This record gives sequence, C-alpha cells and structure tokens, in this order.
Amino acid sequence: MTPNMDIFPQLVANSIVSGAIYAVLVLGFNLIFSTAKFIDIGYGVMVVVGGYAGFYFMKMLGLSLWVGVPLAVLLSGVLSLAVYKVVYAPLRARKASSSVLLIASLGVLTFIQAIVAILFTSQFQTLANLLPGNPTLEFFGGTMTAIQLVTLAIAVVLSLALFLLLRFSMFGKALIAVSDDEEVAKMVGINTEKNIGFVFFIAGCIGGLAGLLIGFDTGIEPTMGLLWLLSVISASIVGGIGNLYGGIAGAFLVAFIENFGIWKVSGEWRLAIAFTVLLLFLIWKPKGLFPR
Amino acid sequence: MEYLIHLAILSSIFVILSLSLNLVLGYTGLISLAHASFFGIGAYTVAILTTGFHFNFFLALLIGMLISAVVSLGIGVVLSKFRGDFVAIGSVGFCIIVWSIFLNAEVLTRGPLGIPGIPRPEFFGFTFSTNYSFLLLTLLFAFLVYLVVRYVAHSSFGRVLKGIREDEDALQVFGYRALHYKLAVFVLGAVLASVAGALFASYIKFIDPSTFTLNDSIFFLSAVILGGLASNKGAVIGAVVLILLPEALRFVGFPPDIAAQTRQAIYGLMLVVLMLYRPQGLSGEYKL
Repeated sequence: MTPNMDIFPQLVANSIVSGAIYAVLVLGFNLIFSTAKFIDIGYGVMVVVGGYAGFYFMKMLGLSLWVGVPLAVLLSGVLSLAVYKVVYAPLRARKASSSVLLIASLGVLTFIQAIVAILFTSQFQTLANLLPGNPTLEFFGGTMTAIQLVTLAIAVVLSLALFLLLRFSMFGKALIAVSDDEEVAKMVGINTEKNIGFVFFIAGCIGGLAGLLIGFDTGIEPTMGLLWLLSVISASIVGGIGNLYGGIAGAFLVAFIENFGIWKVSGEWRLAIAFTVLLLFLIWKPKGLFPR
Repeated sequence: MEYLIHLAILSSIFVILSLSLNLVLGYTGLISLAHASFFGIGAYTVAILTTGFHFNFFLALLIGMLISAVVSLGIGVVLSKFRGDFVAIGSVGFCIIVWSIFLNAEVLTRGPLGIPGIPRPEFFGFTFSTNYSFLLLTLLFAFLVYLVVRYVAHSSFGRVLKGIREDEDALQVFGYRALHYKLAVFVLGAVLASVAGALFASYIKFIDPSTFTLNDSIFFLSAVILGGLASNKGAVIGAVVLILLPEALRFVGFPPDIAAQTRQAIYGLMLVVLMLYRPQGLSGEYKL
C-alpha cells in the first residue's frame, strides 16, 4: 500500500462529517430560497454568529454547555428573524427584484461579519476545549471524534424533524403553498409574512447550530461564513435548486469532492479544486442531479 | 500635497475599476463579484513581467489586458451556464479561485510574500517616477477609459446591453444573441479592470494577494451601486467617495485592523441602506 492509500478511510470519514454539516445548512438555505425566492448570502453569517455567540457565552462568561449552546442557537435565530423584519420584509413588500435582495443580503453578511471581527478580533478561535472529553473512535481505519459523531447524529435528527414538520404540520403545508405561489397562498388566508419570518428564524437557528458544531470540531473565524455558504450553495445547485432533499445528496457529493480533491495535492488548493470540479459539474449538468 | 496627489492617483485607479464594472453591472445588469480577479491579473502580469523579465510597462500592460480577456472569456462562458442570480454566486467562486491561485502559485507570484520592486512606467526614456507625473498618466488612462465606456454605452451595442438588462427574452425574440453581447461586455469590463491593476501595481511598487480578495470585489460593487447603476458620472463619484471616506477614519485614529473592519462594516451597511431607500444610487437611471 502506498502511504496515500492509508488516508483513504480518513478522507471518507472527513467527507461524511463535513457532508453532515452541509446537509443541515442546505436544508436552511433551500427553505429560505424556496419561500422567500432569493439567494440569501446573509444566511452564511449566522454560522459565524452562532459560533461566536457560543464563544462569548461559554468561554468569556463561563456558562455551561447546556445553557450556552441553546442560547447561542436562539440568538442566531432571533438575529436572522430581525434581519428579515428590518431588511428583507420591507424589500419584499415593495416587490423589489431578487437581485436587490441578493445585494442587500451581501451587505448584511459584510456588515455583521465586520462587527463580529471588531468585537472578537479576526483571530481563529476554537471551542474544542469546552467539551468535557472528546474521545477518538476508530472505524475501518479512519478515526472520528465524539463531537463528529454527535454532529452526524444531529444532522440525521434535524433532517428527519424538518421532513416531518414540512410533511405533516399546517406550517409545512403553508410553506409548500407559499413556495408554489405566494399570491394564491395569501388569497386562501395563509399569513405568508409570518410563515416566512418563521422560516428565517429556523434557518438562523440551523446556521447557528452549525457554527457551534464547527467551533467544537475545529474552530471559528469571522470570515468563515461566506466560505461555508459557498459550499452549501454549491450543494444546493448540485442537488437541484429548491429540491429540499436533493440538497442533502448534493451536500455529501460536494463534501466528498472537497475532501478527495486534495488527496494528491496540498491542502492550500482545496478551495480552488473544489470550485473547479463543481463548475465542471455544472457545465455537464446545469440543473443539478435532481431538478425540481 | 504629496498626500493629496496620492489620494488623487488612488481615486483615478478606482474610477477605472468602477467605470468598467458599471458596464457589466449597471448597463447589462450582470452582478459580477469577480472584478477583483481581473484587477489582480493586470497587476500580477505587470509585476511579474517587469520585475522578472524586464519588460516595458506598456508592453506588460498590453499582455495583461490580453490575459485578462482570455481568462474572462473562459469565466464568462462558464457563468453563462448559471441561472438568474446564481451568476453572482458563480462569480464569487471564481474570485476565490483566482485569489487562491495568486496565493498558492508561489513560483509565479511568490504567494503571500508578494512581489516587491515593481518599476514605474517608462516611455521613450522618460520615467514616470514622480507621483505628479504618475498622476497625469493615471488621469490620462482614466479619461481614455471614460471615453471608451461612454462610447460603448451610447452606441447601438450599448442599447442592446440595456435591452438585455430590461428584458432578455424580448431581445432574443428580435434576433439578438444575448449571450454574445453579455460575453463581449464581460470581457471588455475585465480588460479595463486589468488596466487599473497594471497602474496600481506600478504605483504602489509592491503587490500581494490581499489586495485582490472578494472584499475588494464587494468594495467595487459598493462604489458602482453608491454612484448609481448605468451612470458613468455616478461611477466616478462613487469611486472617489469610497476612496476618500476611509481616509477620514485614519484621522480618527483607530488601530489598523479595527479601521479595516470598520470600513467593511460601512460598506455592508451602505449596501443595505441603499437597497432599502435608494436602490438607484446617487445618480443612477436604473434600479436592479
């Protein structure tokens, strides 16, 4: 066996972990995109907000995990909802084009990211040492830490919960109606404003949770939001834009491409390789694997 | 006085950038966040060719424009595969790819160390070594770019671009190949941006990848949107305002890292506020 073959199981393990985080984030992104009908770049910054809120509550204030994590998740959700109320809702009310919303959301990302960097400096921070212990487990020659397994479990539970929520609750049915035709949904008495607001809240919570998991696993930086978002959007495009569950397949595909792209070359090229492969994929299948 | 000349040079370089982005964003309605890449290609071509191979600045400038044209044509073809606003996301991807090439292709670009000692332009024995003469040169280039952009915008070609912006399908029905027009304007914008890059490298004398990031693309976008889409006057005003605004922060006396972040925060907030209250910018004729 060449030394390179040894890392094969590890690359698979890494791909599954980052795929799980992408999958969770893609769900949030697709929810926003299919109901509010624009590419919300500001969604990426909720990852940063969640991570740094956790850093603040648990490291600087010394709160316990059981208080700090829910607080950080909630804060991201509330901030996401607030951004919707202050910025996106008025724009949508006056029928602004999706490009205007996209640029506004780019502004949101730039603004919040800079504020986080001013408050906490742009230095890399990790939450890993907050965990009581993080044993390493071995699977078929690859290793996974306990927090990575937790991440995986959370991804599965969250996807199932969202699936059940969308499939069986009135809220889910309302969202499907809104994503099909907002005007008609309004006519039959669905409070579209409220429902979309709730979507932003849920997506914010998801983003915040992902930020915490990333912080526990590796670490957080103010600029990480956009990079994670780009992978998430790629996953969403690969899975077929707006297709909620195609996005999950896309998430794992993108994660495998990113991790295996650096198999034979050094890690600095990771981003370039990942995007190049994705762009080639898009030339081949512009509508993704599972077009809606 | 030296400081004012410095600001004037920077302003005119950024005027070239915002004028060229305005062609793409304002007149044609394509949201491109890859503009920093073409700015960088122009800068790196001049830096590499003049320091490593002793090329004349103007020859290196032409080669940079050519490389920029080829690269932007390739990027444009790929971007044309994206639907709607996803073009913007694709351009973000390219901006990051090109930046990571600047950062990691150390054989060519010396990576994060950057390239020092870039000479000033020389023309038949005359070197633009003083900042005053360099200012005249950049002003000349900015004026030429202004003329080109104005000519394009007022030509029949420019009217087709505006047609694409307003209703691409309708234009296709009239028999225009929208894709060809979009590619042409994207390439033209990239070529003009590389001119700004060449001037920048030669003026600052040192470049590294940190000047050609996504944040810089966002900065150019902010300048065009602030000035007003599809208004050349607006593009000039936007660039000058955004160059002078952070200078005010220097006098407040923030530490450098905080000042840089404060600038980002201002650009971000400005984009949000403009979208909410004045999507056409200060003097634009068109709302996204």
